Amino acid sequence: MAPDNRPVVQMRGVTKIYRSGSGSRTVEVRALAGVDLSIYPGEYVALMGPSGSGKSTLMHIIGLLDTPTEGEYWLGGEPVRGLSEAQLARIRNQRVGFVFQAFFLLPRLTALHNVALPLVYRGLPAAERLKRARAALEAVGLGDRLDHLPSELSGGQKQRVAIARALVQEPDLLLADEPTGNLDSRSSDEILGLFDALHRQGKTIVMVTHEPDVGARAQRIVRLRDGRVAEGGMV
Amino acid sequence: MNPLENFRMAFESLWGNKLRSFLALLGIVIGVFAVTAMISLGQMATAGITQDLEAIAGRSIFVQPNFNEGQDFSTAPIREEDILALQTLPAAVIPQLFTSAQYEARPGTRRSIQLQGTPGDLPRLDPTNKLAKGRYFSEAEARGGLAVAVLSDRAARDLFPGREAVGQVARLFYPNGARLELTVVGVLQPPGGLFGGLGAAATVYVPNELIWNTSPTARKGQYDFVVLSLKKGADARQVTRQAQRIFESRYGKGKYQIASTESFQDTLRSITLILQALLGAIAGLSLLVGGIGIMNIMLVSVTERTREIGLRKALGATSSQIRQQFLIEAVVLTLVGGLLGVVLAAGLLLVITATVPFFKVFILNPATVLLALAVSALVGLFFGVWPAARAAALDPIEALRYE
Ligand SMILES: Nc1ncnc2c1ncn2[C@@H]1O[C@H](COP(=O)(O)OP(=O)(O)O)[C@@H](O)[C@H]1O
Ligand SMILES: [Mg+2]
Repeated sequence: MAPDNRPVVQMRGVTKIYRSGSGSRTVEVRALAGVDLSIYPGEYVALMGPSGSGKSTLMHIIGLLDTPTEGEYWLGGEPVRGLSEAQLARIRNQRVGFVFQAFFLLPRLTALHNVALPLVYRGLPAAERLKRARAALEAVGLGDRLDHLPSELSGGQKQRVAIARALVQEPDLLLADEPTGNLDSRSSDEILGLFDALHRQGKTIVMVTHEPDVGARAQRIVRLRDGRVAEGGMV
Repeated sequence: MNPLENFRMAFESLWGNKLRSFLALLGIVIGVFAVTAMISLGQMATAGITQDLEAIAGRSIFVQPNFNEGQDFSTAPIREEDILALQTLPAAVIPQLFTSAQYEARPGTRRSIQLQGTPGDLPRLDPTNKLAKGRYFSEAEARGGLAVAVLSDRAARDLFPGREAVGQVARLFYPNGARLELTVVGVLQPPGGLFGGLGAAATVYVPNELIWNTSPTARKGQYDFVVLSLKKGADARQVTRQAQRIFESRYGKGKYQIASTESFQDTLRSITLILQALLGAIAGLSLLVGGIGIMNIMLVSVTERTREIGLRKALGATSSQIRQQFLIEAVVLTLVGGLLGVVLAAGLLLVITATVPFFKVFILNPATVLLALAVSALVGLFFGVWPAARAAALDPIEALRYE
């Protein structure tokens, strides 16, 4: 599929260096070493590579949870460099939806309130938040589990709540870091089916995975090796 | 995100950890309980003491020779002309004599009793003296120096145990053996309140004139003691100063001791104040300890909820929103503690007013409650600042990675 519009994600020479320790004992880890990458609206991209190759780091930078040490990054055509912490938070809230391997649901909140959480930071009134959260849960097939606590849900259901929480934000970009890593094969299939469906609806998805059959469902595979894009950067 | 949302969130999070939240705010509960109870108890004590003092002494000024100067009683008496000068002041002037006498409790055993000379019709001059039975001897009887007596409640019970005193003849003896036979015409009510026990002296009231005529030591026209019972609206301090000026112009400084019941009240008030300050310090200390407890539990909470903080940031919370969340949580925690403390204090005060006779009125000023709650909120704010800052400063990636 030929990209025919402006990229959602555009990166040039993005480098991330982690420093730990202090003084002469400082250790530098070059997690990303000059990444060039573009992702276009409606794409379903699998981010693959061996463990430690920088997949999570790249995803955090794409999702504005982290900032590059060097290089340029445009999200939706706008440069990220120089944005304040509060501006980054606002963009995360409005344009990026995260799905994590470990679900990260708040254990004391019901499914409905977990899903409504991102909208709290958007300043929406409670009734509106819950209305949208209910719709999002229904969209992932959990309309009958609104008032369940995470502890009362199976792994696959938890991940669907997490996906609903990302969808409720109506983000430009859905970022999933090994979303099936904690699931059995049947639940994995369910979740991957859900991502397929979201892709068909036109959502832009970036999914980190190291399982080839998971990657195979994506439209494009970006392979990382030692912090560099080895294949599929498509710039 | 509006503040109300924050409060709701804080309540939910604290409710989820009921036991720990309660333990954490125990220090605050105790501190606020102490503050509230002590302030109110102080106010209630002041009210009780003031009422009791007024009941036994009214608003009075006492004039007596100053014993501290090392003088002999008889060298500094109060004379008739001093009484005349005092009568220009807005007060009923009640010149009195004190002497001691004895009575025969059983054949062969004599006991001491206080003999007090007064003008006639004392209850009219000083309404704090109330008759229980009979009447007070009249002004005419007093001027005539008749052998009539009014007994204090205690004296009636000592002299005539188990018998009606009014109408009886009381036989007293001066230290030199001279005998005095008095017809009892009345009995006074016992003094009430805190001073009921202390002030229950066995006193026989007789006309001043009678003591002058019979006592081997008393001299006619000289008094031991004067009570000025203030008229309504008279200013105690001002009248005290005027009385002092009368005695100073006649005899010089320091010969007479002149004090009003209001100055006693001032003393009591300052004692209460010192007490309150002391208790306030204790309360402050427990609030400090409670506050450190809150800080500790909030730091633990921040650490435990590292992932939650990371997630909230990933979902779009700014650092200042996270800081706000934890600050409000600390304030809600201490406010709940403060509220519990106030409720406990109110309970204690109610029990005290119901059971301890001295505390007659329940006092819990809205200002006290407001102060207690404000203090607990401030403690939360102050001790929540550091934990909240730590939460706000968490790097979302580190927080999400945190195991
Ligand atoms: N906060 C950090 N501090 C130091 N090194 C880090 C940090 N985060 C990641 N790294 C290192 O960066 C490299 C890439 O990590 P990561 O992006 O998590 O890889 P992946 O997700 O592909 O397994 C690894 O060598 C990892 O140890
Ligand atoms: Mg990873």
